[in-house]
Amino acid sequence: MVLSSHVALAGIWGGLMAVERRAFLQAMFSRPLVAATGVGLLMDDLSSGLYVGLVLELFYLGSANLGAALPENDTLAATGCAAAAAAMTGGTGASTPAIWSLAILMFIWLGHAGRFIDRALERYSTRLEARAIESADHGELERAVRQNVWGMWPHFVSFALITAGCALVGFLCAPWVELLPLRVARGLAWAYPAMASVAAAIAARGSHARHAALFALSAAALVILGSAAATLRWHP
Amino acid sequence: MSADAARSVPIEEPRAVSLSRGVKWRVFFRSFLLQASWNPQGMQNLGLAYALFPALEELYPDPQRRAIALRRHLTFFNTHPYLAAAMLGGVLYHEQRIALGLEGPEPVTNFKAALMGPLAALGDGFFWLSLKPATGALCAGLVPVLHAWAAILFIGLYNAVHLPLRVRFYRLGLRLGDKVVDALAQQQLPRRGARLRALGASSAGALAAWLAIVFGRNETGSWAPALAAGCLVVGALSYWLVARRATYYALLYLAALLAAATGAFL
Repeated sequence: MVLSSHVALAGIWGGLMAVERRAFLQAMFSRPLVAATGVGLLMDDLSSGLYVGLVLELFYLGSANLGAALPENDTLAATGCAAAAAAMTGGTGASTPAIWSLAILMFIWLGHAGRFIDRALERYSTRLEARAIESADHGELERAVRQNVWGMWPHFVSFALITAGCALVGFLCAPWVELLPLRVARGLAWAYPAMASVAAAIAARGSHARHAALFALSAAALVILGSAAATLRWHP
Repeated sequence: MSADAARSVPIEEPRAVSLSRGVKWRVFFRSFLLQASWNPQGMQNLGLAYALFPALEELYPDPQRRAIALRRHLTFFNTHPYLAAAMLGGVLYHEQRIALGLEGPEPVTNFKAALMGPLAALGDGFFWLSLKPATGALCAGLVPVLHAWAAILFIGLYNAVHLPLRVRFYRLGLRLGDKVVDALAQQQLPRRGARLRALGASSAGALAAWLAIVFGRNETGSWAPALAAGCLVVGALSYWLVARRATYYALLYLAALLAAATGAFL
């Protein structure tokens, strides 16, 4: 019962986020940090959603929909990875960095797959456009403008199904995750900060700032120095 | 009347048909669906026609004139979805004048053709390449402190800029028509964007350092600080490799593999 409701909720959220990203409002609810946190919240595992979303937010920070160019689908990667992570947590009982890493490694390729699907769905939108023009030519104006709304449902359905599928795979994988040797689990846990570092480097690069490396390195140095000073203060 | 006296009489701009307040807001809210049927041929043309339709219904009671008006907006249209608000306002400004017979259809067509490219560049530069990365990196950087509230802060911060600007652009377009360009230039979006980009890069660097420190502290074992430092070195190396066009996915998997192997066997 919990499994089916979680899978359904993840699917619906994934579909809604796909629509927000592509078709409606674009108020950044579909950014990885928010979309993945939402999945986590709906699947009773906020931590997995939040920390998966954090890495993916940085990883896809520089991607943008410029002109007719389609970027990788960061939203699908986020909802898919977060759904899988939350489902694995549901099965194992603990939200750990090892699970977050595993989910990201298993499903981050969805960003690439999502772009492919976006491109494929454009064929449907092209048909809608032709139908709208034909309707306008025949004086059926309301029918012509209504075609615009029909462009959303394929996105909702396809991305909802994929996100729900990721949640289901997560649930199915959970028993195997529990059997992972401690060494492997510890290794996967260390993969998380390494991936976060890579994602941060990609983010700094993707920030398009002049002297981005200087800004990123200075901020990192400040945090390290601040942390060292705090440690010395508590343990002189 | 003498020639001088005639010159001193103020020449009034012809007043346009005024759209009702409700219809103006309907057009604005329908513009949120501008990209619902984005397609490679007309791009945002369906969305534009969908957004404008309530205004066209009010401006053109005659079905034939309404059909002609709608048809002229089903041609190619593509710009930034937020800056499109300014264009929608401008299009309504012109359509009101066309409905009154004060101008032909050419000015509105020219207005769209002339502005959609520059406004797309302006919107991409400020919203997609500056505001979004800056708020994203800043709020991701605040996750260790604010937890899930960081995601809510992201939505709040981004939309505190996005939504008021979108409304402002629309109203400027409605009020100024073609002159909206000058008003948009005064917003100084490119200059503000440059500052935001620096904030994005700094937040990303700070977060990477913070996460490495937290993991180094939480792990037991004398090798943990070295592994945490290793994560930061991997990050710095990745920056260098990304600059040399290394594939993002390959870098991520490689770093994960390296850290997992080291973490498992140390």
